[in-house]
Amino acid sequence: MTEFRLPQGMRDLIPQDCERKQKFRGAIEGIFDAHGYQPVETPAVEYYETYRSAFGTVKDREMYKFLDQDGEILTLRVDMTVPIARLCATKYAQAQPPFRFRYCADVFKVRELFAGKRAQVTDCGIELIGGDSRSDIEVLSIALEVMDHLGLSGWQLEIGNTGFFRRACEQLQISEADASVLADLIDRKSLVDLKSRLDGFGLSAEGRRLLEELPMLGGSDALARAEQLSFSDGLRREVDTLRQLDLSLRQRGYGSRISCDFGKVPHLNYYTGIIFEGYASGAGVAVLSGGRYDSLLQRFGRDLPACGFSVKLDYLMDAEGGETE
Amino acid sequence: MSMQIALAKGRLEKPVVNMLAGCGYGVESLRDKGRALVFQDSRKDIRYFLAKANDVITYVEHGVADIGIVGKDTLMEGGKDYYELLDLKVGVCRFILAGLPENPPLQKVGHLRIGTKYPNVTRQYFHSRGMDPEIIRIDGSVELGPLLGLCDGIVDIMETGTTLKENGLVVFDEVCPLSARAIVNRASFKLKREEIMTVIRDLERGGEYAEGN
Repeated sequence: MTEFRLPQGMRDLIPQDCERKQKFRGAIEGIFDAHGYQPVETPAVEYYETYRSAFGTVKDREMYKFLDQDGEILTLRVDMTVPIARLCATKYAQAQPPFRFRYCADVFKVRELFAGKRAQVTDCGIELIGGDSRSDIEVLSIALEVMDHLGLSGWQLEIGNTGFFRRACEQLQISEADASVLADLIDRKSLVDLKSRLDGFGLSAEGRRLLEELPMLGGSDALARAEQLSFSDGLRREVDTLRQLDLSLRQRGYGSRISCDFGKVPHLNYYTGIIFEGYASGAGVAVLSGGRYDSLLQRFGRDLPACGFSVKLDYLMDAEGGETE
Repeated sequence: MSMQIALAKGRLEKPVVNMLAGCGYGVESLRDKGRALVFQDSRKDIRYFLAKANDVITYVEHGVADIGIVGKDTLMEGGKDYYELLDLKVGVCRFILAGLPENPPLQKVGHLRIGTKYPNVTRQYFHSRGMDPEIIRIDGSVELGPLLGLCDGIVDIMETGTTLKENGLVVFDEVCPLSARAIVNRASFKLKREEIMTVIRDLERGGEYAEGN
């Protein structure tokens, strides 16, 4: 090979880039520290089997895979949540929860060729494992504090509750396979395809109305409209969960920065309750994402509820503003 | 807040520009465009740019365009990282399976070869029928495939069916209907929801202007 090239999706950072990235990192980690989150590190390489246990269905093609000395399949980690769940369930099998961990590490995904997407991204985040019912609000307010502290020129945090969709499917007796097809269409707000798919389901009028409106069940009147569409106490309770969070975040002064979207239902085999993403002007993808994943830890042998989020430092680099002190 | 809209060049360009004009957008420069690539709306804080259909998806996925107008055929073949909010109901056509009348591909027992510009759509269509043909990518004049004996059938877009007929090919099945769609960048939708929904609602009621005057 006479040329020296970068592998697909990889980037070098020159000092100016590093300086900006490290400023962000420092600001974020300072906040995590102040809230009592302790750093952990895990290896960049995990067994493929670890991810398969965690997800049930893994996105095979997104994982860098290779073999170890014994012919076992290894993979570059695709996130930090799964390794930390493994770490927590195995290293702290007996210890008393809650656990507050923070991390800053590179995660890897194989991306399509020539799409201009990053294959390696630095995730800087926290996991709150085994906490009580106040965990959601703790994690969300730290996420908001982080976004607020970065000096971005425009940003929003959007909160959803996957429990709403999950419960609706349960009560409408929609099979898991169908639910995951619907979840994908709803999450992509693919309104036309969703309607034609629902045609074949023979749902009650109220069930159909709810699922059909779900993708656009966001914005300022989301909570009120979700309440109207709810056809059971279970669904109303899910709306209420989000309303309580919305209310207490408003009381903390984040009213203009948060919004609700019930149509946010990605990766249903992973997220079990609230889910949220942060967006910043100038960045074409979410710069922060997180949520609740109560069934993940039990797959590693210790049944604990958990929630967390991470900031994608490399995506944050594209955002406007961010000249923190 | 200013907005960027990417429009697919070609077939969809005229009806979509007509719709925008009918809804009160200042798109005069798009009608008389010369060699320019980027166009400022003369009434609103919107910039338009014309791009190849495939590139419209790329621009929207990266967020350099907030909204993209592009055919469903392109969406079905490409990436999926965007919101698909509206069927503009213009540029209506179909994906079809066609071939020579004496050789119906769906009845063939042995190894099946299908030529197409749309390998993903083709694979999905045949897989949903429990069939696994060999797919051969052809970039232009797909009709040549069966005529020259390269493949048993083709999956392609059909508007009027004239090209097929003139070459002695017949339609064996309709894969799915197609039309222009409005797609939106995920982050833009969160940060500029109201502005984006205004454009979407305008396009939704703009169908009557598609033909122009």
